[in-house]
Amino acid sequence: MGTMGLALPWKARIASAPSGIAAVGKPTITGKWGTRVEGSEHPGGGPMRAATEVANEDAALATECQSGDLRAYERLYALHGAKMKNLARNVLGSAVDAEDAVQETFLKVQRSIATFRGQSSFVTWTYRILINTCYDARRSRLRKKEVTTDDDSEETPRIEPRAPGAHPSLRMALERALGKLTRHQRDVFLLYEVEGFRHAEIAGMLEITETASKNTLFQAKKNLREMLEPPRSSSAPNRS
Amino acid sequence: MNMTCEDRDRIFENGTAAEWAALEAHAAGCAACAEEVRAWNSLSVAAKELQDYSTSPVLWAQIERALIAEDARKTQRAERKGWLSYLPAIPMGWQTALAGAFVLILTVSIGWRLIRPPVPPPHEDPSLLKSGALKEVESTEQAYEKAIDKLAAEAKPQLEDPATPLMANYHEKLLVLDSAIDDLRAQAGLNPSNAQLRHQLLAMYQEKQETLEEVLEARK
Repeated sequence: MGTMGLALPWKARIASAPSGIAAVGKPTITGKWGTRVEGSEHPGGGPMRAATEVANEDAALATECQSGDLRAYERLYALHGAKMKNLARNVLGSAVDAEDAVQETFLKVQRSIATFRGQSSFVTWTYRILINTCYDARRSRLRKKEVTTDDDSEETPRIEPRAPGAHPSLRMALERALGKLTRHQRDVFLLYEVEGFRHAEIAGMLEITETASKNTLFQAKKNLREMLEPPRSSSAPNRS
Repeated sequence: MNMTCEDRDRIFENGTAAEWAALEAHAAGCAACAEEVRAWNSLSVAAKELQDYSTSPVLWAQIERALIAEDARKTQRAERKGWLSYLPAIPMGWQTALAGAFVLILTVSIGWRLIRPPVPPPHEDPSLLKSGALKEVESTEQAYEKAIDKLAAEAKPQLEDPATPLMANYHEKLLVLDSAIDDLRAQAGLNPSNAQLRHQLLAMYQEKQETLEEVLEARK
């Protein structure tokens, strides 16, 4: 493998890769090549304190929502609404469906907030509801279309045109490739790489183990690389 | 930390920061690993293309309206529940005690129904006549019998010496009827309150009366 370049002009973009790609406030460490490594593996004073603050804020938000305070829901929306909508859009492929899913998620949170016992973080719980709502919407859309498939993960989200980004062709290729991943691989990739959640949080959202989340991300990225990579040259690489 | 190309996938999957640093150091002198690491990280960079955090000006307003409407529905449901809504306010101990008492009462009631000797209900046979009605029937019957005897006395000469085969048949029929009447009267004497017997006896008298009337009619 002489040149392990991808079909898309990524090589040129690596140099300009942002160094901090994890969510704000999340304890992460970024390598010199833009590699994101979770801070939980390297406990330090700073990130731990930030994590405690996030946990306290999360608990307070849950308590306020449990008391039926509408402003608490508004704050939840202000903090996570855009991110929730983005995740829903990437799962459903439509901005309108994504907004419906976010609204339905807020209603479900309100209906079942009394049952929230704090086993996971409130935000994690909310995202779990969102993901389930998105897949319910997808199933419902499938039923409406009367398309019969054995596994709903086979359904590729229909992709609506978005506002032009820096690399529209890259985004479109990635969206197409994501549609070919399994449901779990797509979810983990979107949650980790796009939304910047940690594996511990993703594990809580998808009700899997942290190790499974890491493994699924690895498989997802490997599959994406294969799908986006150009045909390999015959020359074999020299491995050290 | 010594790193080889073989460690690369493991570090991609679950590498620590130190291992990533070692891999990057290794990649500085290994073109294949440098390309792999670059391509691997480029996926993370490409993922940023899927971030579109543009806010919708109306979405929160829609959600807020839906939350308020849902809250109002919840309140209405709670009001409809009525007194049952007070049930959760009762301490768990009392709820258990109430449930236990209810079960106990139910068990005792069922047990009492099962153990208690059955009391036969007062049985009234509709085919039996009460004493007042029986006297009335008997007196009417006697009057009716006397009237039929008068008819029989009038028809007696023709029946004892039948001039025609028809009259002989009438005679025969009346003898059978008299025999049946005697049997029924004997049974009714043993069981005077049996309305069924009385009804059959009345039918026999009526048949006898009609037959005697036909005999008298034939004489004219």
